[in-house]
Amino acid sequence: MSRPVRRRLPGSARVALAVVVALWLVAAISPVFSGAAREIRLDRRLAPPSAAHPFGTDDLGRDLLARVVAATPISLAIGLTAAAVSLVVGFAVGATAGYAGGLTDLALSRLIEVMLCFPVLFLLLALAALLPPSPLTVILAIGLTTWAGDARYARAEVLKIKDLDYARAARAAGAATPRILVRHLLPNALPPLIVSAAFGVGWAILAEASLSFLGVGLPAPAVSWGGILSAAPAYIEEAWWLALFPGLALFLTVAAYNLLAEGLRVATTEGGRKA
Amino acid sequence: MTAYLLRRLALAIPTLFGITVVVFFLVHLAPGSPISGGVDSLRRPTGRAAEEMRRLYGLDRPLPERFATWISRAARFDLGESFVDHRPVSERIGEALPNTLLLNGLALVLALAIAIPLGVVAGGRPESAFDRTSGAALFALYSMPTFWAALLLQTLFSVRLRLLPLYGMESDVAGSGFAGVADRLAHLALPVTCLTYGTLAFVARLVRSGVAEAASSDFVLAARARGASRRRALWTHALPNALLPVLTLLGLVLPALLSGSVIVEKIFAWPGLGRLYFDSILARDYPMILGLSLLTAVATLAATLLADLATAAADPRVRDGAAP
Repeated sequence: MSRPVRRRLPGSARVALAVVVALWLVAAISPVFSGAAREIRLDRRLAPPSAAHPFGTDDLGRDLLARVVAATPISLAIGLTAAAVSLVVGFAVGATAGYAGGLTDLALSRLIEVMLCFPVLFLLLALAALLPPSPLTVILAIGLTTWAGDARYARAEVLKIKDLDYARAARAAGAATPRILVRHLLPNALPPLIVSAAFGVGWAILAEASLSFLGVGLPAPAVSWGGILSAAPAYIEEAWWLALFPGLALFLTVAAYNLLAEGLRVATTEGGRKA
Repeated sequence: MTAYLLRRLALAIPTLFGITVVVFFLVHLAPGSPISGGVDSLRRPTGRAAEEMRRLYGLDRPLPERFATWISRAARFDLGESFVDHRPVSERIGEALPNTLLLNGLALVLALAIAIPLGVVAGGRPESAFDRTSGAALFALYSMPTFWAALLLQTLFSVRLRLLPLYGMESDVAGSGFAGVADRLAHLALPVTCLTYGTLAFVARLVRSGVAEAASSDFVLAARARGASRRRALWTHALPNALLPVLTLLGLVLPALLSGSVIVEKIFAWPGLGRLYFDSILARDYPMILGLSLLTAVATLAATLLADLATAAADPRVRDGAAP
């Protein structure tokens, strides 16, 4: 079903959008901070927040604010690309299942169900810890473990629209199946998929942070917010700022993406706040 | 109903088999081995020592043969021995399982006990001040990373206020009787909180939207017209209908809780399944990884099945096949 998409975003979602834009701007200027983020000064290690170091310093005396800013692009980029992988795989599997029907649908639906009911972090940890550590591994691990939700939406949407007149007309005109799926069904199934993908970005950022926090995420020298946080438990008795600030950046980002996704959902479905 | 149950059970078998195949080949084909450790491990026996270890672990056999051996033993409830300490996998799982059940069971009960009343009150008056505030708070909880929440709670309650232990399951010098129970509860407080709030936010939002929708429907209006109080109309007419989707999704809460358990058990040094799984992955302990994966797959499939059966029992439309 195609719906009127051109609705106004709710106010909260517009604030969230502004936060997301601001975060990407921070990411754009972050190279300025990369020098300060790497400067090791043992004479000022674990210094509490002050005017010179608003977020304090870490266990090697590096400025925490600079480190949090420097980690912004990698955290955002991994979230976005992993969600994109998830969306592409999810649409391919879900749309194929919905369009083909029959045995294909039965088999693929089983697969989707398996993915949905297996603890995501178990599979994610296995992939991330067993494959050679690299940004690509992290992106693929997250994308390949979270596509099931996207697939379910894609399947449901394709089932709804595959027998509408324009899809039948394309079939009657002799269009090949992949062409019908991508040219005719994808654009019309897009609104719920975009919502799912927007939630996916928040989740992917969180997943990357969890992996890096557990020590199986990005390899050094790449540092994400989760990677900075992984040092916090060791110094929990003396340096609360190590836990507070990187986590706050992570929380703000995830909340902004989720709020944006929620706003998109409200804007693309009739009835406003119905689930 | 029986036919439905049998059909679901029959479908669960290929699903389980699929999961074991995927996990088996994933762990065996990944770089690194129990002998060489991870990709960049320094613990690396060579020559005859490595040869003999490979034979001891059966790693010199071809992959399909190893899979056949493993699955035929697993079918007889024999999950093999851990590569790390050579104790039976089932024994190590048996030790960790009660700890994880205690943690997750408490978290689930607590989450439902708070989420349902919260959802009913908020959904009963949509857009009221309470609905807006609780909605914003739940949204914040929903976006909060578990490990961040854990670190903040530790900083506040353990380091600053010195009220609760930083981690562990019990004190070294825990007393018996009442003191022992109090010690146990103190150790449970923070990890249970960390596992609870995500589920709480998820369920409360579901209940809220369900109740809000049901509250404006004809059958609730009819109940009000017959003279039922507002409270009665909400709790006995709107709530049961709002709980149906919650019931369906409870099957998915179990895997989510187990996922959270990995992080929470790691931070709070809680000797449960999540930590066992994480350690097994790092050590490339194939039999442990496979055994734990099989167990969680069975548990989540069972939970999904139970949730579906409960939905069918509660909703005649599902039972009679009138609705999916």
